[in-house]
Amino acid sequence: MQKSSKLTVIVAGLSAAVMSLSACGGSTGSTTSSSSDSTNSIINVYGCEPQNPLLPTNTNEVCGGNPIDLLFAKLVAFDDKGNAKNEVAKEIKPSDGNKKYTITLNDGWKFTDGTPVTASSFTKAWSYGANLTNAQLSTSFFQNIKGYSDLQKKGVDKKAQLSGLKVIDDKTFTVELNAASSVFPTMVGYTAFAPLPDSFFSNPKSFGQKPVGNGPYKFVSWTHNDSIKLVKNKDYKGVAPAQNGGITFKMYTDTEPAYADVQGGQLDVLEQIPPSALKTFEKDSTVQAYNKPGSVTRAFTFPSNLKHFSLDSKEGNLRRQAISMSINREQICDKVLNGTGTPAVDFISPVIPGYSASLKGNSVLKYNPTEAKKLWAEANKISAWSDSDTVEFSYNTDGGQKDIFDALVNQIKNTLGVKAETKPIPTFSEFRANITARKMNALFRTGWQADYPSAEDYLTPLYSSAAADGKGSNDGDYKNADFDALLTKAAGSSDEAAANKDYQAAEELLFKDLPSVPLYYENASGVAAQGVKNFKMNWKNLPVYQELTK
Amino acid sequence: MGKYLLRRILQMIPVVIGTTLLIYALVFALPGDPVAAMFGDKPINQSVAAQIRSEYNLDKPFIVQYLIFLKNALTLNFGETFSHQPVIDVMGRAFPVTIKLAIMAFIFEAIFGVVFGIISGLKRGKWYDSVILVVSLLLISVPTFVFGFVLQYFVGVKWGLLPVTAGSNPGFFDLLMPASVLGSVSMAYIIRLTRSEVSSNMTEDYVRTARAKGMSSKSVTMRHILRNSMIPVVTYLGTDIGALMGGAMVTERIFNINGIGNTLYQGILRGEGPLVVSIVTVLVLVFVICNLVVDMLYAVLDPRIRYA
Repeated sequence: MQKSSKLTVIVAGLSAAVMSLSACGGSTGSTTSSSSDSTNSIINVYGCEPQNPLLPTNTNEVCGGNPIDLLFAKLVAFDDKGNAKNEVAKEIKPSDGNKKYTITLNDGWKFTDGTPVTASSFTKAWSYGANLTNAQLSTSFFQNIKGYSDLQKKGVDKKAQLSGLKVIDDKTFTVELNAASSVFPTMVGYTAFAPLPDSFFSNPKSFGQKPVGNGPYKFVSWTHNDSIKLVKNKDYKGVAPAQNGGITFKMYTDTEPAYADVQGGQLDVLEQIPPSALKTFEKDSTVQAYNKPGSVTRAFTFPSNLKHFSLDSKEGNLRRQAISMSINREQICDKVLNGTGTPAVDFISPVIPGYSASLKGNSVLKYNPTEAKKLWAEANKISAWSDSDTVEFSYNTDGGQKDIFDALVNQIKNTLGVKAETKPIPTFSEFRANITARKMNALFRTGWQADYPSAEDYLTPLYSSAAADGKGSNDGDYKNADFDALLTKAAGSSDEAAANKDYQAAEELLFKDLPSVPLYYENASGVAAQGVKNFKMNWKNLPVYQELTK
Repeated sequence: MGKYLLRRILQMIPVVIGTTLLIYALVFALPGDPVAAMFGDKPINQSVAAQIRSEYNLDKPFIVQYLIFLKNALTLNFGETFSHQPVIDVMGRAFPVTIKLAIMAFIFEAIFGVVFGIISGLKRGKWYDSVILVVSLLLISVPTFVFGFVLQYFVGVKWGLLPVTAGSNPGFFDLLMPASVLGSVSMAYIIRLTRSEVSSNMTEDYVRTARAKGMSSKSVTMRHILRNSMIPVVTYLGTDIGALMGGAMVTERIFNINGIGNTLYQGILRGEGPLVVSIVTVLVLVFVICNLVVDMLYAVLDPRIRYA
């Protein structure tokens, strides 16, 4: 044992020496060609081990999603504020009342293996993602494209393509949709819509371990449970080129050691604050702090037929409003979240186009104990709340939500004078399984992180009838024909401002029915080590990686 | 001796099969659905979920899954994680790190524990005996993670003496702090164990006889007191190797060490059955082998013990 470990040390030392020698050679070559040191520096950022291979259509979590978004340029890119700008696309032209889009690509885009980005790089990638045989986790993003249902049959040929995608020439393709969608030109900025080079289709498995993209960064290596290394892609032609030499995602299983590393200067950027540092991070002189409202929303939802709260009864409506008004959101954001949350006033988020703080009916989200008691008493006249009844809240304990739900329960007890309790569930996986199986018999925690910056991405997946009954994320099975009609109207609209008006009108219906109760917007809060420049966070609650320098 | 060894090795087979079955059953019984959790808050495409389940045999009954695992394990194929990495590769990366950490912690606790214990035991009632006792009491009563965080903050962040976290491929200095945290509690127990053994052996008849025969005080201590005092200490140290490897989870999380504890933790959270079972099985083997080695060492330390 002793001997062999000594040997390994020697071998490791030798190879390290060889590597540093070769690195020396490489860097002398590059310093002559580039201007300053800071543009060559590698930024170490917080990361975690991806749960799946690095494929755009098979990644729906941040550990893999953050590197992938830097590796692939999509048709459109989002700026920090969430506004979509054409990137690979030169033009995305709607026709037929937003049911058909003609997409023209810009010239000169290349993958890092040298092959050009063509129309079929997109159509083949999307068809691959939609095809059931490939079992991709993000399949449902393609469901509005014509031909999707044909690819959902068991045993479908793995090369079968979406019939709604037609390649006109190398730089042009058309997309036919099942239903009109004004949000489609924004949606194609989501990770799953990335183009893929031909090399992917010959060996998806090895591609997933070392992806080839067209984004601001180029893939170097993925050492499992250790790091993902990316360097600047010199051929990138898009709107957000890298200002630094590269990004290294250092992997952690916990944010506590990552925070200590930022304090000690071993890590440059961390986009989450561990619970132990919530109170102190903004005053901590060893780090730079960032803390502004973000795009993640936190809420709780009522099972559609929960006793006393059912969606279709007058009593349920009154009680849901009473519960919402007995919650002091300011106090929770202040005392429990230490200012890392912002009280919710709508169903989307302040960083998303279409947000408004003055929607009709939003007073239901304001703390109003007198009104809450009044509504509760009115509901009691319809059907009495007996002593054995309890307001119960369910949440998963592995997500750090305990303090918030304890506070909720206490506020409801104090305001309404009824019994209230939490029903914690140990893991996220068990929690979601109960919701999916509609076995929840308590109010339950819900949250949403938008995939693309649009009011549509908050409303359609969470509250439309099409997403109810297990067909989407409408976990409370809310169904309202008027609400659906407004969404459809917005989807057919040619003008974004008009569409947002319709989405806001739809939100006003939600305030009336209150299928779920928004609590707060989770702040985009993070820290950077001293000496890191241009640290800010975007609409996705992530650092703007390209602009970091040191 | 040889026969005894063979018998002990044969005994390992049912132990290993029993543990794999038990752990597999426990992972299987974990509430929740790992495939559904893969979709997060997003809508689940049931046909895609079914496809993934069949790829990982998750759609088969428990006993079939277990037998498939066992059959493959015999050919050293421990399956794949959800990110398509062979479990054997994952273990191959994680175990060397944990072994390095455990050995460093082991050396730390063995040397400091025994030395301080002997000093304390031989010089009972002196001021340094009291200091050692108080410090060891403190180490036992303060939870490891508190000790870890405090040390990390002061030594790593504040004074910058040692790296804050170890990261991948850690070297000696990266692991120095984590290893002392990991070994600290056991060190405190070893101090106390050694101290009480040494001091009780000092009053034994054979020590008095040896002294009466005119042996020098040094050889009485080395040959008679220490040798007899070491038997329970060696037992403790032996079983502790397994505990250090399996119990490094807390330390590994604090110092972000990509070892077995961290891997196991993630495996449990993500419901990766084959990964969890494989790691636990190896840990069980480590325990069993350490116990065997300890039993063999008895015969060396105490000639009265014989194995047939």
